[in-house]
Amino acid sequence: MKTRGTRFLVLAVVVFVAAALLMWFGQGEEALSASAQPSVEFPRKLRAQEKTRAQARRTWVVPTPDAGPSQGASDPLLAALPRGKGKTAVVLEANAFRHSPIGELLLECLYRDGGEQLRQLQERTGIDPLTDLDRLAITDDGLVLSGNFGKAKTDELLGKHGRSSYGDSARIYEPPTERMLADGGVGRGGGPTIATWGHQMIVVGRDRNGVRDVIDRVEGRGSQEPPVLHETGTYGEVYGVIATPTIAKVLPPEQRELAEQLVRAAGAVELHVDARGDVAVVADVKGEDAQAVTDLGKSLGGALALARMRARSEGEEEVAKLLDFARVRPDENAFRLEVALPIDVLKERLAFCREPVPEAAAGDGGVEL
Amino acid sequence: MNGVLGIAGYVLREALSRKFILAFLVGITLLLLTLTLSLRIEVLDGALAATRLFGQSLDHAIQAVDMALRPLYMATAYLVFYGGILFGLVACSDFAPSLLSPGRIEHLLALPVRRWQVLVGTFVGVMTLAVGGALYGAGGLWLILGVKTGYWTVGPLIAALLASVAYAAVYAVMLTCATLVRSAALCAAAGGVFLVLGVIAGFRRGIAPVFEEGMSRTGFELLTLFLPRLSSLANAAASIAASIPLEQRSLGAVLAGVALFGLGALALGLWHFERKDY
Repeated sequence: MKTRGTRFLVLAVVVFVAAALLMWFGQGEEALSASAQPSVEFPRKLRAQEKTRAQARRTWVVPTPDAGPSQGASDPLLAALPRGKGKTAVVLEANAFRHSPIGELLLECLYRDGGEQLRQLQERTGIDPLTDLDRLAITDDGLVLSGNFGKAKTDELLGKHGRSSYGDSARIYEPPTERMLADGGVGRGGGPTIATWGHQMIVVGRDRNGVRDVIDRVEGRGSQEPPVLHETGTYGEVYGVIATPTIAKVLPPEQRELAEQLVRAAGAVELHVDARGDVAVVADVKGEDAQAVTDLGKSLGGALALARMRARSEGEEEVAKLLDFARVRPDENAFRLEVALPIDVLKERLAFCREPVPEAAAGDGGVEL
Repeated sequence: MNGVLGIAGYVLREALSRKFILAFLVGITLLLLTLTLSLRIEVLDGALAATRLFGQSLDHAIQAVDMALRPLYMATAYLVFYGGILFGLVACSDFAPSLLSPGRIEHLLALPVRRWQVLVGTFVGVMTLAVGGALYGAGGLWLILGVKTGYWTVGPLIAALLASVAYAAVYAVMLTCATLVRSAALCAAAGGVFLVLGVIAGFRRGIAPVFEEGMSRTGFELLTLFLPRLSSLANAAASIAASIPLEQRSLGAVLAGVALFGLGALALGLWHFERKDY
């Protein structure tokens, strides 16, 4: 009687052993939870360390004539940026960016040739971009670099440029109107006008007037219009304001309608990029007409979703992954566009940087100024 | 086979006569109907542009519709998984004890039905109920959101089936318990303890460091190594519902492990039931 059902006991033992083996070899818990979405921190406001950084950069006190009331210390780079509406200024926190995960990846690309190009650049200019450059600002009129340029070989490098002092601490280097060609002939001169401001700023502009305007703004003689970028907006590793016509110019022709909508709805877009982990990009768009801004937000959200769908259908999984976290957050007469670039996806994209540079291409490097 | 189906049908008829289960089905139906009538979704070029619930605009981001629906599908998958198992623990705990109760079991055994068919039939009946309930809830939501957004994915349905596999293991333990003690409360408790252990087993890697290194940690790791990873299966179900890719080989191992564990528990119950004198 008691031997009844032994087959079930045998079945139970066999099945339990099989289940145990599956549990043993499957070890599923890690793999199954590993595909969780990365938590991306989007830059939304000035954080504590950025506040401290911004305060530490208030190093310049504009000299006031006739012992008038002092305006207080300011950040010379922010003061150098254009003023008024419709202007573009984007600041790259070069030092912070260089130490971020994406910065490390990009450095690997730069070091593919063993760092030869960087060494040549340092030899010629006296500037080590990895240690001397703190910030790089790109504006409509040129570049403004801030950092420690005490060792810069400006006079040596710009030997043929006409040089003159300007304002309190600036020196302007104007390109010659003529230049010697390799065949002995004489060609037209030109090139950018460069200015140094103390040892902490280099300005690269299209012409003398543009560079003088920058110096004037730093030394308190320029326009009194509100600055394009306030100290409160200096969060992230890249930040700034881009005029919508500038964005419209770089959008592809098939996005012309969206570009026109963007220009109609808003004057400028405020941009912030956090690169401390996954690269998180935030673009704030604000306009007078709430309906136009809302419509633009919807169009943009739709365009991103469509692009993601298209990438997926065409098998471009990497592009689709990049667009996975793209979203638009509407808020009355403004909206915030958020795009996250997972660092793992960027690592895949930049994997070629870890491979040694082909020998044929290795000798092509060189730095021209 | 007819015996199994006969018992399964008997269990289903009994289930449908219970107000508790009927109320549950009516509740799900009302929820789905409310959602159908009150939810308004605006989709623009594949992006979820606006959502209104009961006429109120919901504050959310404009993003690809599948990404926007991910949290909802994940939450639903977890609700179906854990909520479904918990409901099943309570609602189905006394089917087997009442079937095996004195008087009734003798009557059943007097019929041309084999002993194993009684137990397997009960299991099949309860699982039919569980799979039907899970598919009804998840499928209803899938249909509503699919029609309203134009985004169709089989993820929520697969997630509901994964939840059913997990419940099969839990109910097999409850059924085996019923052959030992004819108590609905104890059966539900056994299922509940098994569920908790299954959740812990899924997070064993994270929990192990809590124990001191040595005997206690090794003991914990050994004990949980052979337990079905119910929480891993729940995570996988949520990921599948939200169309988040995961490693298929690992899912297969976990799924087969849980299913085989349930089969083993059922076989153990059959062995004990066959040996029992009535």
